Amino acid sequence: MSNFSRSAQQWATFARSWFLIDAKMQPPGKVATMCSIRLQGKHKPIYHAMSDCGDHVVVMNTRHIAFSGNKWEQKVYSSHTGYPGGFKQVTAAQLHLKDPKSVVKLAVYGMLPRSLLRPNMMQRLHLFAEDELPEDILANLTEELPQPRDVPRTLSEYTQEEKDAFPRLWTPPSDYKMK
Amino acid sequence: MTSRGTPSRFLQSVLHNGVGRYVPQLKRLSVLFCRHGPSSAGVRAFIEEGVVDYAKTNPGTVVYVSPQPGTIPTIVAEYLNGSVREETVTSRTSKEISDLITKLSSQSGLDVIRLRKPFHTDSPSIQGYWQPFTNRPACPGPIRPPALEA
Repeated sequence: MSNFSRSAQQWATFARSWFLIDAKMQPPGKVATMCSIRLQGKHKPIYHAMSDCGDHVVVMNTRHIAFSGNKWEQKVYSSHTGYPGGFKQVTAAQLHLKDPKSVVKLAVYGMLPRSLLRPNMMQRLHLFAEDELPEDILANLTEELPQPRDVPRTLSEYTQEEKDAFPRLWTPPSDYKMK
Repeated sequence: MTSRGTPSRFLQSVLHNGVGRYVPQLKRLSVLFCRHGPSSAGVRAFIEEGVVDYAKTNPGTVVYVSPQPGTIPTIVAEYLNGSVREETVTSRTSKEISDLITKLSSQSGLDVIRLRKPFHTDSPSIQGYWQPFTNRPACPGPIRPPALEA
């Protein structure tokens, strides 16, 4: 029967989780999609638009995100200061040099619903340019999310044996001049 | 008015009444009428025909029959939870009054208002409520970035 308080049993239901995403060599849009779903709480079976059930998301290595194509040069972020002639346009590369967190931040901001809850959801998004996280955030983490893309290996990460074992289609003659 | 503005409550019973034995919740029934008034004719007919049978078949209910000169015929039902319902029975027939009293004696005394949910359970979940760690594999130790783990 209902002798015990049943309200105590659902305290854990509305607890906030802390997710960690490593954005190294990841497309910002894919990372922002994962963040947006978790910040809204849409991954939970208890989701309701009127209950503030979003989780915290920690994104690290935002400096090392990877745009595909030529988005670094072609993607333009526009803003207006409000003053006459205050229309500013910067490319993604310029914006990323100025603030390495802003690309991911703007991508998540644009994916969240345009409601009064959006500032609160953005407050639960924690961005870090490098992989160094403060201790108080490390203590809160509950799950690390899988990366949407495999991180490619750079040439410097291959050992000399692997480089030598790489199949060669053509052996240059000894007097061949490399460009 | 929209339904959100009207008073409402959840489906409930008085102290799980009827789970073990059933306790009739109507404790007192007062029949107020006038000896001569034409609007009390139905009440007078009911008193002659059915009120004694009703009192015998409902021993848990006290029935008062009080003639008051010139009064509007009224049936006052008082319940164990303290609520009181007054029903005016002006110019009703004996059959209508009998049906009304049957309805009053079968009610629990709770307010007859909109129900938020037409169902109720004492055990909303057998397997437990969902929580963030439901269906999630156990993780040994705290979560750390890969760089810190190495």
